[in-house]
Amino acid sequence: MFKDPSYYIQGVLDFNRLMLARTITLIESQLSTHQDIAREVISELLPHTGKAVRLGITGVPGAGKSTFIESFGTMLTGLGYRVAVLAIDPSSTRSGGSILGDKTRMERLAVNDMAFIRPSPSGGSLGGVARKTRETMLICEAAGFDVIIVETVGVGQSETTVASMVDFFLVLQISGAGDELQGIKKGVLEVADAIVVNKADGDNITRAKLAKKQYETALHLVTPSSPNWTPPVMTCSALEEKGLSEVWDTITQHKKIMTATGELEEKRRDQSMSWMWFLVKEGLETWFYNHEEIQKVLPTIKERVETGNMAPTRAADELVSILGKELLF
Amino acid sequence: MATQEQWLELATKQMKGKSPDILTWKSPEGIDVKCLYTEDDIQGLETKVQYPGLAPYTRGPMATMYAGRPWTIRQYAGFSTAKESNAFYRRNLAAGQKGLSVAFDLATHRGYDSDNPRVAGDIGKAGVAIDSIEDMKILFDGIPLDKMSVSMTMNGAVIPILGMWIAAAEESGVQQEQLTGTIQNDILKEYLTRNTYIYPPEPSMRIVSDIMAFCSQNMPKYNTISISGYHIMEAGADSVLQTAFTLADGVEYVRAAIASGMSVDTFAPRLSFFFGIGMNFFMDIAMLRAARFLWHRLMQQFNPSNPKSSMLRTHCQTSGWSLTEQDPYNNIIRTTMEAMSAALGGTQSLHTNSYDEAVCLPTDFSARIARNTQIIIQEESHVCKVADPLGGSYYIEYLTNQIVEKAQAIIDEIEEIGGMAKAIESGMPKMRIEESAARRQARIDQGSDVIVGVNKYRLEDEKLDFDILEVPDSVRLEQIDRLKEIRSTRDEAQTQACLEAVTKAAEGNGNLLEVAIAAAKARATVGEISDAMEKVFGRYVATTQCVSGAYSSEYSEASSESAGIIESFRKRTGEFLEKTGRRPRILVTKMGQDGHDRGIKVVASSFADLGFDVDISPMFQTPDEAAKMAIENDVHIVGASSLAAGHKTLVPELIAKLKEQGAGEIGVVAGGVIPPSDYDFLFNAGCKAVFGPGTPITTSAGKVMDLLEAQYLK
Ligand code: B12
Ligand SMILES: Nc1nc2c(ncn2[C@@H]2O[C@H](COP(=O)(O)OP(=O)(O)OP(=O)(O)O)[C@@H](O)[C@H]2O)c(=O)[nH]1
Ligand SMILES: [Mg+2]
Repeated sequence: MFKDPSYYIQGVLDFNRLMLARTITLIESQLSTHQDIAREVISELLPHTGKAVRLGITGVPGAGKSTFIESFGTMLTGLGYRVAVLAIDPSSTRSGGSILGDKTRMERLAVNDMAFIRPSPSGGSLGGVARKTRETMLICEAAGFDVIIVETVGVGQSETTVASMVDFFLVLQISGAGDELQGIKKGVLEVADAIVVNKADGDNITRAKLAKKQYETALHLVTPSSPNWTPPVMTCSALEEKGLSEVWDTITQHKKIMTATGELEEKRRDQSMSWMWFLVKEGLETWFYNHEEIQKVLPTIKERVETGNMAPTRAADELVSILGKELLF
Repeated sequence: MATQEQWLELATKQMKGKSPDILTWKSPEGIDVKCLYTEDDIQGLETKVQYPGLAPYTRGPMATMYAGRPWTIRQYAGFSTAKESNAFYRRNLAAGQKGLSVAFDLATHRGYDSDNPRVAGDIGKAGVAIDSIEDMKILFDGIPLDKMSVSMTMNGAVIPILGMWIAAAEESGVQQEQLTGTIQNDILKEYLTRNTYIYPPEPSMRIVSDIMAFCSQNMPKYNTISISGYHIMEAGADSVLQTAFTLADGVEYVRAAIASGMSVDTFAPRLSFFFGIGMNFFMDIAMLRAARFLWHRLMQQFNPSNPKSSMLRTHCQTSGWSLTEQDPYNNIIRTTMEAMSAALGGTQSLHTNSYDEAVCLPTDFSARIARNTQIIIQEESHVCKVADPLGGSYYIEYLTNQIVEKAQAIIDEIEEIGGMAKAIESGMPKMRIEESAARRQARIDQGSDVIVGVNKYRLEDEKLDFDILEVPDSVRLEQIDRLKEIRSTRDEAQTQACLEAVTKAAEGNGNLLEVAIAAAKARATVGEISDAMEKVFGRYVATTQCVSGAYSSEYSEASSESAGIIESFRKRTGEFLEKTGRRPRILVTKMGQDGHDRGIKVVASSFADLGFDVDISPMFQTPDEAAKMAIENDVHIVGASSLAAGHKTLVPELIAKLKEQGAGEIGVVAGGVIPPSDYDFLFNAGCKAVFGPGTPITTSAGKVMDLLEAQYLK
C-alpha cells in the first residue's frame, strides 16, 4: 500500500487497471489508516464522476444475473462502451472466507479489455453486503467507465442498498411453476425500474411470457416511484443473447427522460444524502462495537436479555447511555 | 449346530465385554459394514442369482466367464507424436497386450489444431497429438485394423477423430464393417467430471445419436459408446455415486437414441460401460455385480427383446487417484489389489495403472510391470478357472444388494429432476462428487483414511529413483510443420466444400459422422472440422460451483483436536485481516487445456473453509487471461494447478505476464502433478512454492500463509 493518495488518484485517472484494482482494495480495507487515505482519494476523484450509467441488477440465486451480465456487457463493449462490473458475493462461509466464482460465468467479458470485473467478498464485514460498493462504483466512474453494473443476490437488505446507489435498478426474474409472485418481495417491486424475465428460450418461452403478464399485473398495484416512468416488464434470454438490446434501449430511454425532467439529478442528490446517513450510521455502529466499556458489559447484558432477566428496552437504554457519558466529557 | 447367540456370546467375551456392534464401519457410501455376515443377511435378496450369462446378470454377462476366455488386457496409452505412440503400441502388443486403447492429447480432445495459440502448453503432453488423417495413419501403421480391436477415448472431438480413424482404415484397405473396438463418446460425464467437452449439451447429445445411428448401420461390430463411471469415481465419487450416475447417464443415452428414431434392440447391444475400481476391495467387486443387475432392471422400461440389450458389459481401470507420488513402488501392490477386485467383479477388459502414475505418463518399464500384473493374475494365479467365484458369499451378496438399493434411490432422485441431462444442468451430481472429494481429502489430511507412505509410514528421505517420461516441446513444432505441409498440398477447394458439408450437417441436414469421414479424406484437420460445427453449435462454457464447509465439517465431526486445527487456521487468517485490512486472497487457476479440476476444487473449498477469500478462474485460461484476473481482483497470490504436464510452459509465462503489467508482487505458487525434478526449474522462474500430489491442505495453506505473512506483515 502506498501512503500517498496521489498514486491512487493518478492511477485511476490514467485508467491504469492495476492501480484501479489496488484503489478498490484500499477502499475495501478494514484498516483505519487505509480508510484515511481512501477518503482522500474518493474526495479527490468525486469531481470526475457523474457521467456513467449506473445499473443495479438483482435476482434470486440462479436467475442468471452473471450470465446476463456476460452477454449484456459483451454487447455493450461491442457498441464501444467501457463496462465495469462489481459483483458482490454474499456467500460468506462460517470461516469468514468466501469463494468468488463469478468470473467463471463471465468468461468472455472477463478477458475483454474494454471490461473490468471485480468480485468482492462480503464475508465478515460489518455492514454486510455493499458496504463499499458505492465508493467502488464512483472510482470506476472516475476511471472513465461508461457503464457500471452492480450485481447482487436478492437476499436481506442488499437490494434496497444497491437500489439506493444506482440510476437504474433491474430485477431479473425467472418463470417457475406459475406462482411467480410468491418469489418476489414487495419492496423490490417498489424500487424496480424494470423487471426482466430471463431464460425465455427453448421450451420455456410460453412460461416466460405468462410470467411477464403476471408481473405486469402486480406492478399495476404498486405506485411507481417516478411520475415519469412506468417500469416495463420484458423477457430475454441471456444464454441465447436475445432481448438484450431492448433492455439497453429501455435503460437509455430511462436516462433520457430522467435527465430531461431533472429527476436524475434529484435522485443522485437524494442518494448522496442517504449515503451520508449510511456512513453516519455505520460510524456510530463501529464506534459502539469498538467501545471498550461496551465490549465489557455487552456479554452480560446480552445474556440477561436472552434469559429474560432484563427488559430489552432497559438494556438498550443502558448501552446507549454508556456512549452518552463519553459525549459529555 | 452353533447358533447366533453362541457366536455373540463368544464375540462379546473376546471383545472384553463390549458389543461387536462397535466394530461396524460406515463406508463412504453410507453402508454399515458389520464385522460378520451370515446367511441371515442374504435371505431372499433379489440380486442373488444362480447363473452367469443369464438375466439379470449379477454373476456376469458370459456363461463361463474367464474359464472360457479371460478378460482383455487393454492398456490405455498415447503420448507425443503419432510415430512415437505407434512404436510404443507395437512394443506392447509384442509383449502380451491384447487390445489397443488410444489416449489423445488435450488439444485434440478439445478440438484445437496443434498450431492454435491457446494450446501451446498441451501438444503431445498428456496423450498423442493428432491433427489430421495423416497422423492417424501413422498412429496405426503396421497394426491391422481388420483384426485389432481399438478403443479410443474421445468425446469432445469425437466426430473428426472417429471420422479420421474410419477414413484411415479405409485408405489402408479395411472395410467399415470389419472395424471392431469402442469409442468412448460419452459426453454427459465430460460436463460432470472429465471436462473435454466442446459444444453445449444439446448438440453434443445429437452427435452421440448420429454416431450410434451411423455405426449401427455400417459398423455392426463396433461399440458406439462407453458409458463411463471411471472418471466420476476419479473425481471423487464413492462406489454408489459412481454406479448411480453412470447408469443414469446410460438411461439418458438410451432415451436420446430412441428419440432420434432408433429401436432399442438396434443399438442397445452395442452399449458398453467403463468402471473405476478403487481400494475398497470387496465394495468394488460388489459394485460391478450391482451395476449389472441394475442395468438389466433399468432397461426393462424400454421393452427390449434381445437379451443383449440389457446386458452390461464393461471395461475397468484401476484407480489412478489411489496411487501416490510418495514411496511409489507401493503402487504396484495397490494396482494388483484393484486388478483382483476387477477380475472378481467380472470385468470384460482391464487397464492397470503404472507405479509412476502420480509423476508422469508411463515409461516402457513401468508399463511393462502394469501389464504383467494382469498377465500374472490370468496365467499364474488360477483366478480365471471359475465364474464369479465370490457369488454366494454372504458379505459380497449383501454389499451387492446394498449398492443396488442406494444407487436406485439416487437414480430415482435424478428421474424426478427429469433425467441425467437435467440433473447435470442443476449442478446436483457435480456438487455431490465434489463434496465427497473434499471430505475424502479431509479424512486423508487427518490420517483417518490411511495411505501408506503418505500419511502413515512416510519415508523420511524420499528420492525418485526411476526414469520419467518427458515429452519435449519440439513435438509442437513438429506438428505445426506437418500442418503446414498438409494445408499446402491438399486440394483446398475440395477441403472447403467438405467443411461446408459439415456445417450443413450441423444445421440439421445429414449425419455428422458421415460427412466427417469425407472431410477427413479431404485432409481437413481436427480443428477445422470442429470449427465447422462450432459455427452452428457454439462453444460450451461451464458454470463453476463450489461446495463449502465440507472440508471443515469432516474435521469438526472427527474430534475436538481436529476441530482445533481448523480453528487455529481461522485465527491465523483472521489475524491477517486485522493487520492488513483484508483476508488473504488467492486466485486458483487452471491454465491450458488441463481439465483435472478435482484438486483445484478441493483446494478452493478447503482454503475458504480456513478463512481465505478464494477467487476461482474459468477453466482453460491462457497465462495472459489468468494474469488479468489476478490483477483486477487484486489477489495476494495466484495458485496454478497443473496436472497435464503444461507447468514448465504455463507457470513461467504467468509470472512473466504479471511482471510485465507491474504486478510482480503478486506471488505465484503451483500444485499438481509436477515431477520433483522440475521443482528447481519452477523456483528459478520465480515460482514461490510447489505442492505435489499428497500435500495435505493444512501444509499448503500453511506455506501460503508463511509467504503472505513474510511479505505483508513486515
Ligand atoms: C483424477 C485423475 C483424472 C480424472 C480427473 C477428474 C477431475 N475432474 O479432476 C479423470 C479420470 C477425468 C482424468 C482424466 C485424464 N487424465 Co488424469 N489423473 C487423475 C489422477 C489419477 C489424480 C489427480 C487428482 O485429482 N488427485 C487428487 C487431487 C486432490 O490432487 P492434486 O490435483 O494433485 O492436488 C493436490 C496437490 O497437488 C496440491 N495442489 C494441486 N493444485 C494446487 C493448487 C494450489 C493453489 C495449492 C495450494 C495446492 C495444489 O494440493 C492438492 C491436495 O493434496 C492423476 C494421477 C495422480 N495420482 O495424481 C492423473 C493424471 C493427472 N492424468 C493424466 C492424464 C494424461 C489424463 C488425461 C489427459 C488422459 C487422456 N489423454 O485422456 C485425461 C483428460 C483429463 C483432462 N480433461 O485434462 C496424467 C497426466 C500426465 C502428466 N502430467 O504427464 C496423470 C498424471 C496420470 C498419468 N500418470 O498418466 N484424470
Ligand atoms: N436456459 C437459460 N439458462 C440460463 C440463462 N441465463 C442463465 N442461465 C443458466 O442459469 C444458471 C445460473 O446462471 P447464473 O448466471 O450463474 O445465475 P446468477 O443469478 O448469477 O446466480 P448467483 O450468482 O449464484 O446468484 C446457469 O446454469 C446458466 O447457464 C438463459 O437465458 N437461459
Ligand atoms: Mg452470479
